[in-house]
Amino acid sequence: MATTKTKFLNEWNTLHKNGPFPLKILYQTKLEGERAMPKKLERYNDVAKEIQRLIKEAQVAGEGFRAYGSAWSMNNIASHKDRMHYNGFMNISLPINNSDCHSNSNYDSSNLFLFECGSTIKEVSEILAENGKSLKTSGASNGQTLAGCISTGVHGSALDVGSVQDYVVGLNLIIGPDEEDIVYIERDSKPALSDEFVKKLNVRIIRDDDLFCAALVGLGGFGFIHGIVIEAEPIFLLKRYVKKINKSVAYELATTMDFKNASFTIPEETDSNGKGNRPYHYKIFINQYSNDPDCVVELMYKKKYEEPYPDPFPVIKESLYRDLIYLFVKLAENLPKSIPWLVKRLRKTILPKVDDQTTGMLKEIFWDAPYQGPAFACSFGIDHKDAPKAMELLGKLTREEGPIPGIFAMRFVKQSQGTIAFTKFPMTCMLEIDGVLWKETRKIMSLKKYSKRMIEVLKENNIPFTLHWGKNSDWAFPGLINHMYGDHAKKWIKQRQSFLSKDMYELFSNKFLKTTGLAPKPST
Amino acid sequence: MKLFKYSLIAFCCCVLTSCYSVRLRNVNGAPQPDPFSDRDDYYRGMAVVEFDTVISIKVTSKDFTYLIKEKEACESGKINIIEYRNTFGGVLLSAITFGRKRKVKIKYVCEKLTN
Repeated sequence: MATTKTKFLNEWNTLHKNGPFPLKILYQTKLEGERAMPKKLERYNDVAKEIQRLIKEAQVAGEGFRAYGSAWSMNNIASHKDRMHYNGFMNISLPINNSDCHSNSNYDSSNLFLFECGSTIKEVSEILAENGKSLKTSGASNGQTLAGCISTGVHGSALDVGSVQDYVVGLNLIIGPDEEDIVYIERDSKPALSDEFVKKLNVRIIRDDDLFCAALVGLGGFGFIHGIVIEAEPIFLLKRYVKKINKSVAYELATTMDFKNASFTIPEETDSNGKGNRPYHYKIFINQYSNDPDCVVELMYKKKYEEPYPDPFPVIKESLYRDLIYLFVKLAENLPKSIPWLVKRLRKTILPKVDDQTTGMLKEIFWDAPYQGPAFACSFGIDHKDAPKAMELLGKLTREEGPIPGIFAMRFVKQSQGTIAFTKFPMTCMLEIDGVLWKETRKIMSLKKYSKRMIEVLKENNIPFTLHWGKNSDWAFPGLINHMYGDHAKKWIKQRQSFLSKDMYELFSNKFLKTTGLAPKPST
Repeated sequence: MKLFKYSLIAFCCCVLTSCYSVRLRNVNGAPQPDPFSDRDDYYRGMAVVEFDTVISIKVTSKDFTYLIKEKEACESGKINIIEYRNTFGGVLLSAITFGRKRKVKIKYVCEKLTN
């Protein structure tokens, strides 16, 4: 039997220390050992029963329950004041065979894999690499769990791929304590798994496009995600370049996405007519405190996997880095005017080295990002055509009403089919400011105030936007969800209300959903 | 007074230069997590085993083997990250005991079990 450890606590915190948030009980479930239960499917089904037992326990106590993974989200989206479950030890993986596929499936079965919720991007990538496969994209890092990524819409900057949830083809959810409460959802228009295979997971099958798209970016509100079926692709290499180019050229590429006719090209990345190739990944770094007409950009081009290729691993960072940053933040809290100077001095550690060139697999290029102290990140989804204007507005705000200890970056992501995915524009620019967490003083405004001002500025200038679900913001801003998603938010709520029983709807609702208005009381 | 100042500076230099850490990290595999831990350092969220002791080494033997076994904090029995720390105290201890006593300060994180 799978076993659960229970710890009674008063509070819980995220990896980047964005809390603490109140919590009564923290669970951690481990699977039965391979020796006692050699079959993976048996262990998978066994742990599902254990999760149902915990859900029942919470239900009987009249308390809420929420699963979380690596705690990378920088707000309270993963937290629940009552009971939380750490999923990290639930990491079974299963390749899907051709015989397990639905008769109407258009997927190449060799690309399909079932992963349990607690598998991290790193673990998933390694298992795929052993099979000659790769994830299509990641969140430009590898520590998040797969379930955490899809629940909050984690993205990289893969122009023509999308976010992590966009290669999910099926979801196995636990939505209550009873037998019929383990379900498998996939698109009706794009079925992947056969009924025979799905029944081996002891689940009820639901094929419904609208429900699937709502649950895809489910914010933890559609029950306990136990298993995720993803579509991988044959392994590939990425060639990464870091260049310094004129800001206006970088912005022009951001608004047109026309790399073919751009004035900026990388000689090695052109076609036979000397026109630029379309990159897999494009990212712009903007130091809002600098008057430099140039900016640093990062481009990656997809290449066929071929061995050998140069070792992509950078020299391991020294632990000194973190202490230095932390010291600077302490300084910045009392001397905010020093922030622009500090950011300039730290540019070599914050920004990638110009003219750097690396080749590696996705899992190597986006390798471990070690913990470097308390951090914040505010990230807006904006139509890429509005990106330069939004950048100038938010940069001005940060300079004039700040300064804030962080710098901006722009990443670009294809539209998602998730009902409330923040990558909702045909090409979404994720405009983000990342930095080190500071404390409010008389001289420097709070993160909440800064987040509020950013929302106000975009609204005043009529720039439509969304917000990254896993990052910092003023989530209680009046009418925020309706402003960002309109009818899509209503559809999401409706799907959730009809999918879950009344008890479970309340059990899987947390403060974040209630604050944002995404968990209204169902009308009877 | 001058001699005292110079001695103090020399002592500080010795302390600062002899304290360092060397960390080896496997490029593959994930570190074993520990959701109940509340560390605030490089190992935040990881199940860390710390080994801080003084070992005796005989004049005839030049090495010491520490066995890593499967246990709760190291379920796989395989290393993912290991950090060795050298301190001024350790150097001093080794010097005054002519190398018979050695301070060993190690942190390691095992690899997360795969399923």
